[in-house]
Amino acid sequence: MSILDVQGLKMYYSTLKGDVKAVDGVVLEVEKREAIGLVGESGCGKTTFALAIIRLLPWNGRIVGGNVLFDGVDIIGMDEKKFDTDYRWKRLSYVFQGAMNAMNPVFRVGDQIAEAITLHEDVEKEEAMNRARDLFKLVGIDPVRVSSYPHELSGGMKQRAMIAMALACNPDFIIADEPTTALDVIVQAQTLQVIDRLRRELGLTMMLITHDLSVVAQTCLTCAIMYAGKIVEYTDINTVFEEPLHPYTKALTSAFPSIKEERRELVSIRGAPPNLLNPPTGCRFNPRCPYSMKICTEEEPEYKNQGGRHYVACHLLG
Amino acid sequence: MVSEEIELKVVDLKKWFPVRMGVISTLLSRKTKYVKAVDGVSFDVKKGEIFGLAGESGCGKTTAGKTILRLLEPTSGEIYFQGQNITNIGKIDMKQLRKKMQIVYQDPYESINPRMTVYDIISEPISIHKLADSPAEKEEIIYSVLKDVELVPPEEFMLRFPHELSGGQRQRVAVARTLVMKPSFIVADEPISMLDVSIRAGILKVMLRAGEAGGISYIFITHDLAYARHICHRGAIMYLGKIAEMAPMDNLVKNPLHPYTVALMTAVPVPDPRLEKARAIIGGEVPTPIDPPSGCRFHPRCSKFMNICREEEPPLREIESGHYVACHAVR
Repeated sequence: MSILDVQGLKMYYSTLKGDVKAVDGVVLEVEKREAIGLVGESGCGKTTFALAIIRLLPWNGRIVGGNVLFDGVDIIGMDEKKFDTDYRWKRLSYVFQGAMNAMNPVFRVGDQIAEAITLHEDVEKEEAMNRARDLFKLVGIDPVRVSSYPHELSGGMKQRAMIAMALACNPDFIIADEPTTALDVIVQAQTLQVIDRLRRELGLTMMLITHDLSVVAQTCLTCAIMYAGKIVEYTDINTVFEEPLHPYTKALTSAFPSIKEERRELVSIRGAPPNLLNPPTGCRFNPRCPYSMKICTEEEPEYKNQGGRHYVACHLLG
Repeated sequence: MVSEEIELKVVDLKKWFPVRMGVISTLLSRKTKYVKAVDGVSFDVKKGEIFGLAGESGCGKTTAGKTILRLLEPTSGEIYFQGQNITNIGKIDMKQLRKKMQIVYQDPYESINPRMTVYDIISEPISIHKLADSPAEKEEIIYSVLKDVELVPPEEFMLRFPHELSGGQRQRVAVARTLVMKPSFIVADEPISMLDVSIRAGILKVMLRAGEAGGISYIFITHDLAYARHICHRGAIMYLGKIAEMAPMDNLVKNPLHPYTVALMTAVPVPDPRLEKARAIIGGEVPTPIDPPSGCRFHPRCSKFMNICREEEPPLREIESGHYVACHAVR
């Protein structure tokens, strides 16, 4: 059974200029122990989608439609108090984007991790601190650093501390939002190794949000490509790179340079990602699509199964 | 086309920033500490060449770029542009040269004035350097440069303000503002790292095409080795203010010799799930450049560490033709 079942989720932001349709009908099933990459360009709604799942939307964001089942239970309609005590951080946690700024600068990192534990479980502070030390060991930081303040840690250590914090209450499902974006390449590789090891050792289900296809290629088993508030293609990681079906996926994978290839001319996708205040009608990719047909401007393509666990939303596929 | 003519040459360039000290340290006349952002860098860029300056954050690549253009005053060393030593020339002479030596900044949201229209942004350098004799000529120049950067139709973009443009379009304006002076040398400081993947190649294409047409030499500053691999002819890897390795891009990628370059190349993730995963073969992070390690600056993290590495700084030596490495372990 799938651990996460998103059924046509719609999430809009109200602004003075109207509704920004950041997430507009997302369908996604995540199996237990799956490592799924959610890939898209900036502003495509990937972070909003993840925040909606863990119910941490900003004040002007609201869920307009759809449903999210976590382990078979509806978590969108659930009472906030119940969600907070039984789900958020306990079963489903989050590694926030920008570890540099995600921690409170005036508290010791160990205390911040212990706080998450004492809030959710009936344990003494001392016990929680011990667990924080164990978590530090787990992510590869010297346990004495629990008494450091965030500014005393390097960028890579802060990111590991954030991962430790997300693991504080032994969750089943972890969302990592651009966990390596601000890090240097060697530290990025170190962090991804830690994430990959923990996922295997602890049997976690993971959703990795990123704009970087190469990071997904290295850490995930499946991949969902998001464009302008919708998932346009979902399939296993090899198919994404070898036989993608959606024109956007094709364009995106070929736009991504690899250091292992011979020198080549880089390609881009014409135009720019749309403004979600007023997205294009029909298929949202149609103004940039080289195969655009008349129907693409008129009718939204259905998100259909292409055999196995391969889903695509494109009129070209009939 | 890359010619043999040398456009820019840098010899032992240094840029140190003093660390601000407290009153007590000053009174006790403790020695001033310096952040040695660039600490003895030498290389040259040929006419029409794209030279990559790559490294992790804090390695001094941006400081090097700005010092070369004398947007920062060098602490010591020499800069030669088209054979002329420009290290100490005065403001007025430098202004003449600025036409030819330009920079494109990383963040198009901060590098162009939000209160000026595209027309004003591009016409400002034309006015400053008196590149047009009449308003009509000025308009013509602006029209054609907008076409060059593919902001078409130009008349539709001329009167727009930056907030009416997307990130990619803004960066095109920033590039147009640079190209309008017909420079022969451009420092491109991470020109695409703030942009979405799908539009990056478009900006690069515009810059490279102008480069080929006008014989422009580029210093392409980047932390992204995958892009450097596809754009640059030659590249240098910097670590804590020094060049660790410098070689034609192909050699740098396929046959890295410095242990740091090897570690960098193994850590770059590859967009191919079937290839071997990127690995961090060294631990730790780049230390602060205030008191860098003695000898070879990379020695505390190096897998090939020997005693000499702690004591003596390795010089940048030519190991193969055009392939320079600063490492005691590479012979």
